[in-house]
Parts: sequence; structure tokens; C-alpha cells
Amino acid sequence: MELPVLNEKPASQGGCSAGSCGSTDDQLNHLSDEIKAKVQNHPCYSEDAHHYFARMHVAVAPACNIQCHYCNRKYDCANESRPGVVSELLTPDQAVKKTMAVAANIPQMTVLGIAGPGDPLANPERTFETFRRLSKEAPDIKLCVSTNGLSLPESVEELAKHNIDHVTITINCVDPEIGAKIYPWIFWENRRIKGKKAAKILIEQQQKGLEMLVAKGILVKVNSVMIPGVNDKHLAEVSRIVKAKGAFLHNVMPLIAEAEHGTFYGVMGQRGPTGAELQALQDDCSGDMNMMRHCRQCRADAVGMLGEDRGDEFTMDKIELMDIDYEAAMEKRKVIHQAIEAEMNSKRAQKSEFAEQIAQEPKLTTRPVLMAVATSGQGVINVHFGHAKEFLIYEASPDGVRFISHRKADLYCGGDSTCGDGESVLQTTIRSLEGCEAVLCSKVGFEPWEMLENAGIMPNGEHAMEPIEEAVMSVYKEMAKNGKLDEIILHNRATA
Amino acid sequence: MSLKIIETCVNCFACEPLCPSKAIYEAKPHFLIDSKKCTECEGDFAVPQCATICPIEGAILDALGVALNPPGSLTGIPPEKMAEAMAELQAH
Ligand code: SF4
Ligand code: SF4
Ligand code: SF4
Repeated sequence: MELPVLNEKPASQGGCSAGSCGSTDDQLNHLSDEIKAKVQNHPCYSEDAHHYFARMHVAVAPACNIQCHYCNRKYDCANESRPGVVSELLTPDQAVKKTMAVAANIPQMTVLGIAGPGDPLANPERTFETFRRLSKEAPDIKLCVSTNGLSLPESVEELAKHNIDHVTITINCVDPEIGAKIYPWIFWENRRIKGKKAAKILIEQQQKGLEMLVAKGILVKVNSVMIPGVNDKHLAEVSRIVKAKGAFLHNVMPLIAEAEHGTFYGVMGQRGPTGAELQALQDDCSGDMNMMRHCRQCRADAVGMLGEDRGDEFTMDKIELMDIDYEAAMEKRKVIHQAIEAEMNSKRAQKSEFAEQIAQEPKLTTRPVLMAVATSGQGVINVHFGHAKEFLIYEASPDGVRFISHRKADLYCGGDSTCGDGESVLQTTIRSLEGCEAVLCSKVGFEPWEMLENAGIMPNGEHAMEPIEEAVMSVYKEMAKNGKLDEIILHNRATA
Repeated sequence: MSLKIIETCVNCFACEPLCPSKAIYEAKPHFLIDSKKCTECEGDFAVPQCATICPIEGAILDALGVALNPPGSLTGIPPEKMAEAMAELQAH
């Protein structure tokens, strides 16, 4: 995704139905104004803001105090990055320099997170040194931190002293029986504790930490990893509980387990959820909880817009050569932030206009349909089917168009030309679209066209460069006109 | 009496701040224990702290060269399962 050019004209009559392009808009509606204001321009939490603002993470916290069965400590914390990633460890001083260099060069960068490569709160000195200095030297940057929660209660006091308004806790269960199947051990009071006893302590600390943060007015997001057969049935309850305690968002991520990562789940053949299973659970939870559907499991040391990485421009040796005048940079950043906000507001206004337009048209009575869209951002359909690394899933219904989730095209694939049992990349991609009845791209090749049709997914290349919601709506209306929506849904025909 | 960190250490820093004897230090290519300083935590803790937090099986050895965290003890992966999976990956 490219950084937006600020004086570029907004995409022609860009619009969204029901004011719900990012379902996040909807999600925000019931929050208090204070929280809404905090979240609105946060690239991790606001579906439209992440097209405009950027976040970065620095890897300053190497140690961890627990073991998760989906993590191999030879690599980064798997709660925060895709498994198998190793990031360059920075000292707090290097992290501060890097953050300020990036902020001066990418004014859109507004959020700095510490998310690894271990657990930030298991490295209190390194983590808090970084936060302490940034709160002072770069006060216009918001800080956030992610944790497994074990050391959270003792850290709340210190966290509240800095510019920190977002904490993410990974909570996979509230039941020690289940926890014992996810966490083999924790380090607690100078001992290694195993089994149910360990899970019980971890769960208590997570819940206590959550309550303490909420009491301090610090925003809390909860992440959960969906592990089929282990905690999938349990996460709706987790959702309910964390919401009752005041978490403002709950984000369910799929387990990614491959033998080559050397994790317990990978080696023991535990599978991850299918796209459709993940979505069903997200729908289940969203009934009584905000769901963050646009999270792409960013890398812990990523720099740039969500889903994009410009880390190569900011390696430590390049940063050492930069001379940053942050006072001046801060002035420039302020002007640019205002311009972005103005553009975002005008797009938001266009969206509600389109929604009103839809509301005035005679209402269809057809069933909802899921469609996949290939886009590189800016709210338009602009990616060739074969080049799409991920798809945005939208639901079209008589009520309008609703953003549902991202699906990685290669979620089940190591990125080689074949996957698993000789499955081709194309087959894997099509499998990732399970449950969708149409896929909208700028272009679709001949071979995938046929395979998509055979899988019951209608390829469509007629809406290139058009705003997503309008294109999805027009395909939906066409399906309705052609009587396609009276048919029984023939899902799950994707090549298995 | 002293423990020893060997090359499978992943440099995660977890052990270093816990050592009551300040025996652990950052080094290249991996952390090391100063054998003159290490007390095996005797008098301070019931169990050697470094080997109690270390997430890597086999990274820390006792004075006899025996791994304090043998294969399978931390991850829960039975060693034969691990060997099987690795052989399978190699075959590809
Ligand atoms: S908290 Fe993160 S680093 Fe620690 S074991 Fe779990 S996934 Fe790995
Ligand atoms: S056994 Fe105890 S004293 Fe020896 S290096 Fe480990 S932590 Fe330090
Ligand atoms: S805890 Fe283990 S892996 Fe981490 S630095 Fe110490 S010896 Fe190395």
C-alpha cells in the first residue's frame, strides 16, 4: 500500500453503505466520546484510519516469562507476529532514535508499539526506558504495548505514568483446564510452574491486569488466538467476560501452526481454523463485543502502514547517519495530521451520503452474500487476482455493504510454489475464499477464472478502480436481478 | 560448581537479570556464565534461576554437562515426535 498523497483528489464518489465501511465505524458508535476520540485515528483500531495513519513497532523486549504452545522462542513472540519471524533487537536508545527518525520522515506515523520479540512487561527496564524517553522527547506519538498479562498487575502504575493509552492483552482462555492445553509453563516467583496451576495464575493475572487498566482509564484491547478443538468453543465466553470488564475491542486471530516452525502445535499436527470457521467465531463474538476485523497480525518490528513494511529504509546504520530536528518535525507533523483528518472527514461524510442513498431505494428481500475484494488500499478495487496476497471480505445484504475481515491468500502456505500435499498456490488461494460467492479484482486470468467458477465463486473484473462498496453493491444487485439469490447457498465447494 | 550456557542459547536475556551472583553476561555469539561467580543459586534460591526461566531445552548444562532442561521437558513435544517431524521436513 502506498502512503497517500495528501492533495490527491479523493477517489471519485467513494462511498460506503450504512456508514459501515470498516465495521469499526459501527463498533465505535456505542463507545463513550472519550474512547471514540482516542480510537478514531488509531491505525490499528479504526478501519479507515489505517489507510491514512501508520504505526510502527520496535523490538526492545527479548525475554518472555511464559511459554505458549504456538510459539517457538527461537523466533519472535507469536502473539505479535507471524510465526518464524526474527527481528533485530534494539536497545532502548536505538529504539528511541529509530522512532524519531521514522516519525520525522513519515509524518503519518502516529503510534509506536513495543510488542516483542518477547513479552514487553517481562523486560520492564528496557520497555519503560523506551516509553519514558519517548513520552518526553516525542510527545506527539501515542504509545502502546502488548503483553501476555503475567506481569501486568505490577506494571500498571508505571504504564499510567507515560503517554500510553492502549494496552493489548492476549487472553486465550478463562478456564485453567483449557489454559493447561495452551501454556505448558510459566515463570512465577522464581519457579517454573506447569500445568493447570500455571494456567490458573496466568489467567488471574490477566484478569486482574485488565481490571486495573480499565480502572486507570487506559484503553484495553484483547487478542485471542483461535485454536480449533482447544479454545474455539470457549472464546465467545472470553469475549463476554472481557467486555463486561471494560475491554473496548476483542480481536480473534487464527492459529498458524506449521511443523517447520518447531512449535508444539506445529509438530503435533494441531490445525489452524479455516477462513470460514474464523469468521463464524468472529460473528459469534461480535454479537456482544466489538471485533477488530481488519487486524493483519502485524510484525513486531514493522514500520509503515498496517500490512506494509518499510523497515528497509530505517535500518540502524541508516538511522545513525540521520540528523533529526524533532521540534521542527513536530510542527510539520501537526499540519499534515490536520490535512489528513480533513480528508478523512470528507470521506466519512461521502460514506453516509451513499448509505442514505441506499436507504431511499426500494429494499431488496434477498439473502446476504459474501464477496472477496482484491485491493491495495485507497478504497478501490485495484489488484489483479493473481497478485493478491490478501482479500478483503465484504458482506452484501439488503441493508448495505459491511466489511467483515481480511483473509490471507497464503495463510495455509509457506509461500513456495506448492503447499502441503502438492496443492498449488492457486488452489490454496481459492481455498482461502471459502464461503464467498464472488471475487472482485481488477483482472482475473483464464486458468483461475475456470477454477473459481468450478469452486462456486463468481470471478468479476468489471469494476476495476471503482470504490469497493459501490462495486460490491452493484454486483449484489445484479445477482438479485438474475435470480442468483434465490438459490440455496452452495458453500464449501472450494477445492479442498 | 557452575552451570554453563551453550550454543543453543537464543540470546533472549531472560536469565541475566535473575542471577543473584551477577554471573551471567552478554557475549557473542551467546550469553555466558562466569564459572568463578556462579553459585548454582545456593543460599539464594531453591532452584537455579537461569535454568528455571530459560525457554530453550538443552541450552543450560550442569557441572557434569547434563542438560537441566532435557528435550521435551519445556515444549511438551515428545523427542521422537520432534525427530519424526524434522525428518519429514528434510525429506521435502
Ligand atoms: S508470550 Fe509471546 S514470546 Fe512468550 S511464549 Fe507466548 S507467544 Fe511466545
Ligand atoms: S545457577 Fe544461579 S548463580 Fe549460577 S548462573 Fe544461573 S542464576 Fe546465576
Ligand atoms: S534464558 Fe536461555 S536462551 Fe535466554 S539468554 Fe539465557 S541461556 Fe540464552
